[in-house]
Amino acid sequence: MAVRPPTLREKRRYVLARIDPEGVQVDPKDLYYAMYEAVVSLFGDPVTAAMQPSVIGIESGCALFRCRRGTERELMVALSTLGVCREVPVALRILAVSGTAESLRERIAAFQEKATAEQTPPDQSGESVTPAGPEYRFGEAPVEILSRHGHKVDVIEKGFKNTRRLYLTTEDLEILHATTIPDGI
Amino acid sequence: MKITDACVVPYPAGDSSVRRLALEARSLGFDSIVALAAKAETVCGVEVIPGIYLAGLSAKDVQSRAKKCRGTGTVVSVQAGDNGFIRTVANTRGVHILRGIYAADKHAFDHVTAKIAADNNTAIDIDLAPIIFGRGHQRQKAIHRYLDVMVLERRFEFPLTISSSARSVLGMRAVREMTGLCSLFGMDETGVQAALDGVARVTAPEESAVTVI
Repeated sequence: MAVRPPTLREKRRYVLARIDPEGVQVDPKDLYYAMYEAVVSLFGDPVTAAMQPSVIGIESGCALFRCRRGTERELMVALSTLGVCREVPVALRILAVSGTAESLRERIAAFQEKATAEQTPPDQSGESVTPAGPEYRFGEAPVEILSRHGHKVDVIEKGFKNTRRLYLTTEDLEILHATTIPDGI
Repeated sequence: MKITDACVVPYPAGDSSVRRLALEARSLGFDSIVALAAKAETVCGVEVIPGIYLAGLSAKDVQSRAKKCRGTGTVVSVQAGDNGFIRTVANTRGVHILRGIYAADKHAFDHVTAKIAADNNTAIDIDLAPIIFGRGHQRQKAIHRYLDVMVLERRFEFPLTISSSARSVLGMRAVREMTGLCSLFGMDETGVQAALDGVARVTAPEESAVTVI
């Protein structure tokens, strides 16, 4: 079928969503299947066919979705029921809806700038949050920092078994051997 | 109006600390959260209200536990059971919220229970976890139960609360997302706003029917 002129094309809406937790790697194809399953299980085949949902891509930790105009509300409700993508727990936080993908890409850039500005400045001592830095403890268990955003810290329990990702804040963590660090407390 | 998530489950039962849940709640548009087995505190402007969830207890045990919690500022939630149990619990002073209506018997929550809940200012909780994470029959059953609850709520006007029952920050949902999910069983935006304020409504100190001037 020949490409229609712009005035005869179907109107689309584009949805921008942030993928939580930060730093998790999600394949667009897996996200498409997860999104499709969420939409079909909630609204059924007729609505899904009318909605024509798809994943445009994943850029800088944000996912771009597309649907037909008028069905964006249903798409957003379905996206809020998405909790797992290929057995990886994720959450999609809707940031914006737009009529063009280009404007959402501008939003991503603005979102990235804001996120960079909110980042905690690195310590003056030059200590980083990489495993080479100080060791941390949450409760009784030693933990390793996976990602850090402002006060929010994602850690993983150290050990051979029963390790899981924990979502904490900087105030929850204690520095192990804090008194033995030369420039510590 | 205070926007409250009526139940979150922090570490160790969940995988997120209370402070992290509060931070996430702030970014999702909440003013306060009810956290099970947590201390009362304010984190970055979000009020953490301690909560207790009584499940699998007899009505007598529920009454004694509710009596112990009276005046401590703890939000007492009770798992719904059969019709007789719900009637007794809804009548119990100190019980704030009835949870798990979606899993209760089909006839457990009827017009009589609705009237008792309205008279005693006991809220019915709309738990969004089965709608978010459930699929197929489980989600259909939950939506059906909530449709029934909405019919009775319009008639008797008992308080409602909305909870995510999140054990992780990933399980929490924004106010706008909750509004979208609640629209699946016919709750409009005004109703959602009122339900999110439900915890403040049920925990407000009782006013005397007679005012001495």
